[in-house]
Amino acid sequence: MRQVGFLVDVSRCLGCRACEVACKNYFGLGETQRFRRVEEVEWQTENGIGLFYLSLACNHCESPECFRVCPNRTYRKRRDGIVVHDAGLCDGCCACVKACPYGAPQYDADTGKVDKCDLCVSRLDAGLRPVCEEACNNGALKVIFLDRIDETGLLKSVPTLPDIKITRPSIRFNPPVVRKQWLSKK
Amino acid sequence: MGMAKPKNGSMGLEVIPVQKVFRNLCPRNCFSTCAILSHVENGKLVRVSGDPAHGFTRGNLCAKGYAYVERVYSPKRVLHPLRQFPRGSGNWCPITWEEALESIARKILELKGRYHSFLPVGFCKQGGNMGLLHDAANALFDGLGSITVTEGNSCWSAGLDAYLYSMGSIEKLDPEDMVNSKVIVLWGVNPAWTAVHQMHFIDRARMRGAQVVVIDPVFTSTAAQADLYLQPKAGSDGALALGMAKTIVENAWHDQEFLAQHVEGYEAFFAYLTSISYDWVEKETALPVEAIKEVAELYALNSPAAIWNGMGLQRHTNGGQNVRTILTLAALTGNLGKSGAGLYNPSLALWDLFSYYTRDCVTSRHPVGHRKININLLGVELKKTTDPPVKMLWLAQRDLFQDAHTGSLRSALEALELIVQVDQFLNQSSRYTDIFLPTTTQFEEWDVVPSYWHHWIGINEPAISPLGESKSDLQIAWDLSSKLNELSPGVCSFPTAGKEEEWVAKEFNQDINSSLGIEDYRELLQGPRKLKWPQVAWEAMKFKTPSEKFEISSLTAARDGLPLLPVYSKPASAPAAYPFRLMTPHSQSGNNSQFLNLPWLTWGTGEPCLRINPLTAKRLGLSNGDRVRVYNQQGEILLPVKLSATIGEDTLVCFQGWHGSGEHDLNDLVNGSPTDMGSKGSGRPAIAIHDTFVNLCPA
Repeated sequence: MRQVGFLVDVSRCLGCRACEVACKNYFGLGETQRFRRVEEVEWQTENGIGLFYLSLACNHCESPECFRVCPNRTYRKRRDGIVVHDAGLCDGCCACVKACPYGAPQYDADTGKVDKCDLCVSRLDAGLRPVCEEACNNGALKVIFLDRIDETGLLKSVPTLPDIKITRPSIRFNPPVVRKQWLSKK
Repeated sequence: MGMAKPKNGSMGLEVIPVQKVFRNLCPRNCFSTCAILSHVENGKLVRVSGDPAHGFTRGNLCAKGYAYVERVYSPKRVLHPLRQFPRGSGNWCPITWEEALESIARKILELKGRYHSFLPVGFCKQGGNMGLLHDAANALFDGLGSITVTEGNSCWSAGLDAYLYSMGSIEKLDPEDMVNSKVIVLWGVNPAWTAVHQMHFIDRARMRGAQVVVIDPVFTSTAAQADLYLQPKAGSDGALALGMAKTIVENAWHDQEFLAQHVEGYEAFFAYLTSISYDWVEKETALPVEAIKEVAELYALNSPAAIWNGMGLQRHTNGGQNVRTILTLAALTGNLGKSGAGLYNPSLALWDLFSYYTRDCVTSRHPVGHRKININLLGVELKKTTDPPVKMLWLAQRDLFQDAHTGSLRSALEALELIVQVDQFLNQSSRYTDIFLPTTTQFEEWDVVPSYWHHWIGINEPAISPLGESKSDLQIAWDLSSKLNELSPGVCSFPTAGKEEEWVAKEFNQDINSSLGIEDYRELLQGPRKLKWPQVAWEAMKFKTPSEKFEISSLTAARDGLPLLPVYSKPASAPAAYPFRLMTPHSQSGNNSQFLNLPWLTWGTGEPCLRINPLTAKRLGLSNGDRVRVYNQQGEILLPVKLSATIGEDTLVCFQGWHGSGEHDLNDLVNGSPTDMGSKGSGRPAIAIHDTFVNLCPA
C-alpha cells in the first residue's frame, strides 16, 4: 500500500516555527488553529543536555482514529494514504478532536468546524512540495513514501510523541544528536 | 510587477480572483532584512512568501515574517487617529487627522512661545522601522531647529566601541562567505532563532567539513546544532578569550608575521597573558581548562576561522572590554582579510552608500544641533533636563518599556504635557500616550531598507492601499509640517508635500546604481540585486585606527579612560540578596516589542515562563508550572517556572517582550547599569541588561 508521510529530522530542526506559521499564512488559518506546531523537547543524557524541537502536523496514520470516530464520515484515506477531511460535511462535534492522540484535528470557533493538515494534497498533486517543507530553513522536514524508503537508522517515535501503537502514524524521525558540550562547572 | 494567475473557472462561472504579486522588504531590526513577495487579491493582501530572487534569504521567511498578513489585518491594529483622555484611562476616542495634527502643532508652537525655543519638544526613535524613508520623522523635527532628541542605542553600543578601538570601524563582511570557513565560532549569538537564514550558510560550511562552536551561557537551539558547545558564566567571555589567547601564544599558534605587520601592541599583551593563570580562567569562566584549550586549538589551527560575536554578550558592565578581547583572537591568528576568516558584526557600511536624502533633507542645507539626552535612561534624563524642560515627546514606533529603569520612566512620562505615539499597535508606552497616530505597514508604502548584515538591496513598493486612515511616516511628516506652517508660516523647513516614490528615487545615486548594475532603481522591482562589494573585509589590512594597524593596545581607549590593553575587567556579580542572574534573550517569535501581540505566533505556545535549572528548582521546592515572584530592588513580576537544564544553576531566563497584565513589565527588574563602552560610536553607553540580578520565592 502506498503511504505518504513526513520525515522529521529532529537533529536539524531549529525550532524556528517558520513551518508552523507558513502553514497559517498559506491557508489563512484562524487565530486558534495550528495545523503544524513545534514543541521544545529537553531531556538529560549521559553526554549533556538533550534538546530538540519536534515539528508535528497530522500524521496521516495507517489506522486513523479521526476516520474511525467521525459520525459524519468527513474523513477519507486516499489511495496514497493521505487522510483528508471534508470540512463541508463537518458539524463541529469534535469527536475526532478528542480521539486523535496528536492533536491534529482542530476546531475553529469562527467557522464552527474542525479542520486539519491535508499534507497540501492540492500542491502535491500539482507536483509542488508542502508549504511547511518548503518553508523549512534547515531541511528538517520532508515528505516521504513510507512504502518506498529504507527505514534503516530512522525512528518510529521520539520522546514526548504520544503512543504510536493505536493509530500507527506515518511519520519517521532522524534521531536526535547530542554533540560535545562543556557545561558550566557550577 | 504583476503576475496574473490564469482564470480557470469551471463552466466559466466561478472566477478565481486575479492575483497580483508585489515586492516588499521586511523593515524590522533584524539581520535578514527579508525580501517578501506579497500576494494581493482584490486589493487585499492574502499571503506572503519569500522572494527566491534574493540570494541570502533564498525564498524563505521566518515565523514572524509569515505572520505579516495577520499583523496587517489584526483587529488590534489602530487605523484611525486616537486621543486618550484622561491619560492612562484606556479611554481612546477617534479623532480626525486634522484635529490630531492641529493639537500637536499648537502644542509645539505654544511651547516655543513659552520657552522661546523648541527644546521642550522631545523626539525618540530607534529600530521600529529601519526603512530609509522612516527617517522623515527625524528630518521633520530638524525642520523646526534645535529640539531635544534621544541619543544612544540600546542594542550594540559597547561592542561597536570595541570594534572602533581595535580596528577603527566595523567593515562589512559578506555573510555568504561563511561557507568558506573551517571553523565558525558563534559567540553569544543564536542565529537559529534570530537570523535563521544564516544557518543555511553555516550548514554549507559544515557540509564542507567546518566545525561549528557555540559559546553561550544558555544552551540554545543553535548550541544544539554545534559540534562543540561551551557554557561560560555570563559576563566572563573576556576571561575565556584570554585563556584562549594564552593557549595560542604558549603553543606558538599565533601568526607572528601577521602580528609584526598589522598589529599594534601585541608584545605588551603577550606580557599580560603570562600574568594570568589557567586556574584563574577556570574560576572566572566556570569552565575546565581542557575546554578552553580545545576551543583555542580548534580556532588557531584551522584557518580560515570566523568569529561572530552576538549582541547579548556585550550587554554587560564589562561587555565592551570582553568583545575587545574576543576580537584580539582574530589578530593573534591572522584571521582577518581573507575569505572564510573575519569578525562578524552588524555594519552600517552599506547604508552609507545611499544618499540619505530623507534623513538629511533639512540638515544638508543647514546643520541643526539638537540637545541630546540618553535613550537608555530616558526617565532619569527627562527629569534632570531643565532650562528648558522637555514637555512633549514624540515616539516613533518605540516602546519605552523595553528599556531600563521603568520606575523613573513612568513618573517622567506622567509629567509631560503631550505624548504622541506613531505606530500600528498600542503598546506598553501607550498608557502614557495622549495622541496616537496610525502609520502604515511596509505593504502600504514605498521604501528602501538596507541590510546591516547581507549584501542584497531590494525595493519596497506599495502592495495594498493604506488601511483605514493610516499614513506613512513620510506623509505624516509632510502633513505636520504643513499644519505647522499654516499656523506659523515659515516655522518648519521640512517639505509640506511630495511623492513617496520620488523620495525613494532620491535615496539612490550613481554609485549605488553602478554597484547594483542598474540604471534606475525601478529595475529592482524585477527582483533584488547583490551589491558589487568586496566579499572579504579588511583585505587591504589598512585599519581605520591612528596606527592604521589592528590596535590590541589602544591609546584612543586609554584616552577615553578605558584600559590600554584588552585586560580583564571584572563582571558584575550577584549581590547576596539577589543571587540569580536574570537573562532576557530573544525568542523566535518576537522582535523586541513587535509581533508578540499576534495569536498566530503566540496562541497555544503557553504562558511566558521563567526558565530555571532543575537543581535550583529542587533546592527551592519548585516544580514545572509553579508560580513565583521574581523581584529585586526595582520591582517584581509573577511568572510560572519551567525547569530547564539549558541554563546554569545561578541563571534564570525569561524571553524578552514579556508584559504582565496591568502595570508590570519584565524590564521593571532592569536597573539600567551602563555598559563599559558605547559613547564613542553611538554617543552613550548601552544598558548592561544581562547584569540584572533577582531573587525569587513562591507566589
